[in-house]
Amino acid sequence: MDRRTFVKLIPMTAMAPGALIAQGGTAEAAAPPPSPAGSGAPEGGAVPDYAGKITYSDMSVTDADGNTQPGFKHSSSKAQQADPKAPYQMPLTKEEQDIMDGKKGEALAKVMKIVVAHGNAFGAPKLVELGGAPHCSLYTGTDYMKPMIDLFQECADAGLKTYAPYTVNPRCYDMYNVNNNATDMELIYQGYRYQRDLDWVHAQLGAPDLNYRSCACYVPEVGNAPPPGTYVAWAESSAINYGNSALGLRTNRNAGGMELLCGLLGKAPLFGLMTDEGRMANWLVEVKTSKEPDLGVLGTAIGLKVIDGVPFITGMEKYLGTEVSNDNMHLLKKMGSATAASGAVGLYHVENLTPDAKQKGRKLLQKGYQTYVYDDAEQARVLSTFPVEWDGRPEDPTVCLIGCPHNTFKEIHDWGTKVTETLEKRGLKTGAIPTKMFCSNVVRDHLVEKHPALVGKMTEAGMRFTNMCTVSYAGMKDFSERTYAVTNSPKTRNYYPACRYLKDDALIEVICTGKIPKGA
Amino acid sequence: MAKKTFKGRPLLGGNLEGKALASTQPLNTTGSYLDNLFGGNSTSAPCTDPNNKEFYKKDLSGAILCFTTTVGSSLGGAALMGVGSLGVGPKAMLFSQHVDSVSLAGLLMDDIWNGRRVITIDLLGDEFLESVKTGDPIAIQADGTVEVG
Repeated sequence: MDRRTFVKLIPMTAMAPGALIAQGGTAEAAAPPPSPAGSGAPEGGAVPDYAGKITYSDMSVTDADGNTQPGFKHSSSKAQQADPKAPYQMPLTKEEQDIMDGKKGEALAKVMKIVVAHGNAFGAPKLVELGGAPHCSLYTGTDYMKPMIDLFQECADAGLKTYAPYTVNPRCYDMYNVNNNATDMELIYQGYRYQRDLDWVHAQLGAPDLNYRSCACYVPEVGNAPPPGTYVAWAESSAINYGNSALGLRTNRNAGGMELLCGLLGKAPLFGLMTDEGRMANWLVEVKTSKEPDLGVLGTAIGLKVIDGVPFITGMEKYLGTEVSNDNMHLLKKMGSATAASGAVGLYHVENLTPDAKQKGRKLLQKGYQTYVYDDAEQARVLSTFPVEWDGRPEDPTVCLIGCPHNTFKEIHDWGTKVTETLEKRGLKTGAIPTKMFCSNVVRDHLVEKHPALVGKMTEAGMRFTNMCTVSYAGMKDFSERTYAVTNSPKTRNYYPACRYLKDDALIEVICTGKIPKGA
Repeated sequence: MAKKTFKGRPLLGGNLEGKALASTQPLNTTGSYLDNLFGGNSTSAPCTDPNNKEFYKKDLSGAILCFTTTVGSSLGGAALMGVGSLGVGPKAMLFSQHVDSVSLAGLLMDDIWNGRRVITIDLLGDEFLESVKTGDPIAIQADGTVEVG
């Protein structure tokens, strides 16, 4: 097979996170989702297969009016000198200068130079010590990642390690539970040629155990949940969104690779979302629905409206309570990840709930903030933009995808219980369609340990655990032609509108019958 | 055409003369190089982002790119390193707005680690992008001065 032909076969999800291909959702689809302004029919004819949704990611968004906007603009960064174009060098401590001068080796000197130059560009007044642990979004061993992998292999060769053992995004494939078919295997083995090299780099630098691979690195079983106020350098939009907001951490939305460089240094430049000023809210979001809002729709709506702003959300206390806990973290995860997928939100505040909001209240609202009212009409309007039909997709659902971002223990327990009890009540032995439960292996193991009988029933019901990334799966070539996925994830739906977003009750109905209930 | 001079912030400085390849839209670092990143094309870099009508299908290899800012996946930095390693990256990236952190990360990594520099200047201003057109002669100086025409 020649290389050009191969281009059309490899999984385009390799650009993940946040830049993935909707193979069935290009401009050629007969029932397209809302297209961003300026797309239209390109010069020269049809859009190539692979030029799909890769443009719409966490760094470029379509606003509520359908216009493509840049994503995260670091609007909170300020120049340290009167002329923003003048050369700027942040002051370094003696230790930092020694590292820069090569006194701790050439490799670390280069790491320091990159991190400092990056901070200089954003007016960082200094580097800060990092706590907790890094979270890394480098998880796909594709061809184009080779220079990045080589860079970090050189760091490993020089004996560098991160300041603490770190967590990494989910696996980009699962040959045992999801991709165990000839079509997927060909795509994966040919597309992820450097996966072994990448895995080995992580093992050397500080992340050897694949059982902890997860985008929800903050769940208790994975354990990367530092206390509020901790400076960290994370990548992966949903982890950053949750970490900054629900945990009160302080991290910028780092590029893939930059987080690991900061991890090797144990320091990051102080700017943007790491600063008090950068964490001020420029949007007030008033939730005024007559009953509990659909969190997936709410998150999507907020992201579309504020783009890369910082929203302060009110009206949610009766639904979410006043403490972040194992009982509501999945709700924040669902809403927040949607804001980071439809928009580029790196931080949100929920009145009386999230750490920054509990500490500072409405003092977090900066002068001149804008207001967005989310009521029943607005919820209905945003929901109406989610496509229902999709050209070329199988007629009825063929798989249910639960867990993007990765599931918590409570989620896999509750989903397992609801599905198996419903099947039993109806006298059904197994589900009409398979269900993939996305979570880390250690979360799965926790359920096996505590509820072995339930896991047995879930297996009979066709519910299979996997530690891969849902978006990597949904973005595989021809996914929407081979598969009709239904999901509870607004993030997956945002990247791959061919995956139909449904409420929990409707999803259970689909799992049992294979059909989408009327009115869903 | 009359020459116009603009002053930006030289993030990765250098001297260069050539012709501009300009767009008023953002440059999508991941979406624009699919033929290279996935097809392994190492002879040219046809822009594969249909949302940028001014760049679409134009050869980005060795270009002096003029645009607002960059967008795309948070692996956009890795993408720029990828095209650099194939020898089809741009020679210069001229931003009318503030550089974004993702592309800057990749550009800095490739420059400092691999010695592969893409001249990068930002904050050139809206008037720069309103003035420069594809094909215009352009001269870049190490202090961030950009002369068009």
